[in-house]
Amino acid sequence: MEGEMMTGNLAAAWGARLADVDYVPAFPITPQTEIVEALAKWCESGAMAARFVTLDSEHSMMTAAGAAAATGARVFTATSSQGLLYALEVLYSVSGWRAPLVLVNVSRALAAPITLEPDHNDVLAARDSGFLQIHAETCQEVLDSILMAYRIAEDERVMLPVIVNLDGFYLSFTREPVIMPDPDQVKLFLPPFRPAHLGFKASAPHALGVAVLSGTPYSYFRHQMHLAAMNALDVHREAAAAFEQLFGRRYDVVEGYRLDDAEDVLVMTNAFASKGKAAVDVARAEGKRVGLLRLRMIRPWPADAIRQALQGRRAVAVLDQNLSPGQGGILFQEIAACLYHESLRPRALCSFIGGLGGKNLSEGELRAIFEQTAEAGLSGKGIGPILLYTEAEHREMVQLQVLAGGLKS
Amino acid sequence: MRAVRFHGRGGQGAKTASRILGTAAFIEGFVAQDSPIYGAERRGAPVAAFTRIDTVPIKQRGVIVHPDLVVIADASLVGDPAARVLDGIDDRTAVFVNSPLTAEQFQAQTSLPGRLTTLDLTDIALQQFGKRGAISALLGAVAGRLVGLRRDSVREAIARELADLGLAAPAIKRNQTVALQCYEAVQMVPIDTGSREPAAPVQLRTPAYEPPTRGTARISAAGNSILRETGGWRTFRPVLVPDKCNGCWLCFAYCPDGVISMTKDDRPVIDYTHCKGCQICVHECPTEALVAEREKEGGVAWKAK
Repeated sequence: MEGEMMTGNLAAAWGARLADVDYVPAFPITPQTEIVEALAKWCESGAMAARFVTLDSEHSMMTAAGAAAATGARVFTATSSQGLLYALEVLYSVSGWRAPLVLVNVSRALAAPITLEPDHNDVLAARDSGFLQIHAETCQEVLDSILMAYRIAEDERVMLPVIVNLDGFYLSFTREPVIMPDPDQVKLFLPPFRPAHLGFKASAPHALGVAVLSGTPYSYFRHQMHLAAMNALDVHREAAAAFEQLFGRRYDVVEGYRLDDAEDVLVMTNAFASKGKAAVDVARAEGKRVGLLRLRMIRPWPADAIRQALQGRRAVAVLDQNLSPGQGGILFQEIAACLYHESLRPRALCSFIGGLGGKNLSEGELRAIFEQTAEAGLSGKGIGPILLYTEAEHREMVQLQVLAGGLKS
Repeated sequence: MRAVRFHGRGGQGAKTASRILGTAAFIEGFVAQDSPIYGAERRGAPVAAFTRIDTVPIKQRGVIVHPDLVVIADASLVGDPAARVLDGIDDRTAVFVNSPLTAEQFQAQTSLPGRLTTLDLTDIALQQFGKRGAISALLGAVAGRLVGLRRDSVREAIARELADLGLAAPAIKRNQTVALQCYEAVQMVPIDTGSREPAAPVQLRTPAYEPPTRGTARISAAGNSILRETGGWRTFRPVLVPDKCNGCWLCFAYCPDGVISMTKDDRPVIDYTHCKGCQICVHECPTEALVAEREKEGGVAWKAK
């Protein structure tokens, strides 16, 4: 096997190193810490020419990151979960400054109750912040996506920051072979960052993110951010082509897996998509015509690619590894919205909620999804949101409640 | 519906006036709605406030685009495009201006459209209160009279709103007395009750993407406060006493608005068009070479030049 064994976290750190970033403001949080530790070590040893600075919080970290990017520096930083939420206020400012830094988020479910393992309520909370979002399935994709993220972010047609997301534990601490891109080829892929609207020059001061205090300029500038984000679809395509040419690996905004002739399609994101693909293989072996659509780019929302992949299917199941209380799965809503005007829209849309707090996604659960989705396709009636949660798990839960409350069982 | 728009400068009481009018209407059993709009600014900056009065629930919010009555607390605002005093005023609009001029004189001077009436509230306030402070009760009473509200409800509304602001009973009483004098004194103009043509649908335009040098909320030009001549906000102006200036540049360094420039021989020059009159330079000057002089209403500063 080519490459070397590497965790998702180390792959993320290598992404920043190969991108030759200038500045890394950092604050540690499980399960992201290994990223900033690796970068700290490399900056200390001189392997990286970047300035590494520890800040007092993620809020300060994002402020420093945005401010540095506003001076024209190439900036990398990383966080997770509560840290991302603590930085959230600043995300909106940084994107408004059109400061194209790259932020890696290592997904971890949000408190309370507190946990360390992943789901995507953290990164999806930043969905409307103006940061673009790329969600990775493998450690290789983490590294490659960071390089692509800089190329897309720094394009004059975009100039928006990007979040590259990887799952805590399932990628962050998981080693698998990663092929290291050649640094000279990375230089070809990523030209030096020379933004026209950013920079620091004492003799030519400028103000960013100024007060407008009237709806008209505010509307205009926010809409410009929308247009910039939408431009990222084309820019991503160009970046993907250039990346493939140099490195031989291809990433599109969505990835179809065994979609040809598939009647029913399961939509997933992030690391668990690997398990979804395995389940597709099992079902295919049994003669079931199923496939998988993995969403890689969440912002901008690749509506056309999704429509193209899902039109004419019998049924579509969306597995959300997140839960919006009082609503359901977040991505399900967006999938449903973009299929509404499709004349060949699937007969049934099914919403499943699974993997919350890193809860394992079992083969049995995936079988249940395919089974219920097929039934929904036949009946023409959508279902959900359905929580992936079993009888045996519930017995465990009851036992914990008894212990926690000092109750008699 | 009666739609009344108040224009004033921060500190004059335009917002409280809109509340006095709203409360007075409410007391009389009308449905009322009042709201202010202002920026992150301060005393002297243009503010606007809105009161709507109706007999049925009001299905409107915020800015009044087509006012039936406009109450202008400070005549200098008419010439300030940033204050947008003239927006939506036509020949049918009733307009009250706080001015020593008669309606005819004022109209001749400013060619303000509308059915004009004036009264020198500032002078009345100076004579009755001995100082030029907020004239909210006076503005509220005048507006109340012009839209046809009763004396008693205006009197009661003034009491409620000024008590809400923490004014002592004697001060409230004085305000009521003077305000009701204005209520009687103001020359009535008819308020149009005719209905307006429904608006035509606007032509929507989707902006195209522009490079971030233009498409980002970014300012790189110096001296860009052209649409907003903030000099009109001043109550006091800093004035240089050249003999005392030691050329230390401290006023230049401390000016938060960058309106002080320095000559070749180290003397400050103040851009009065934009100086907001914060007096920080006066405070910081180590040789008392900058002194604060009171601006006079109708004087140069009030026209921002």
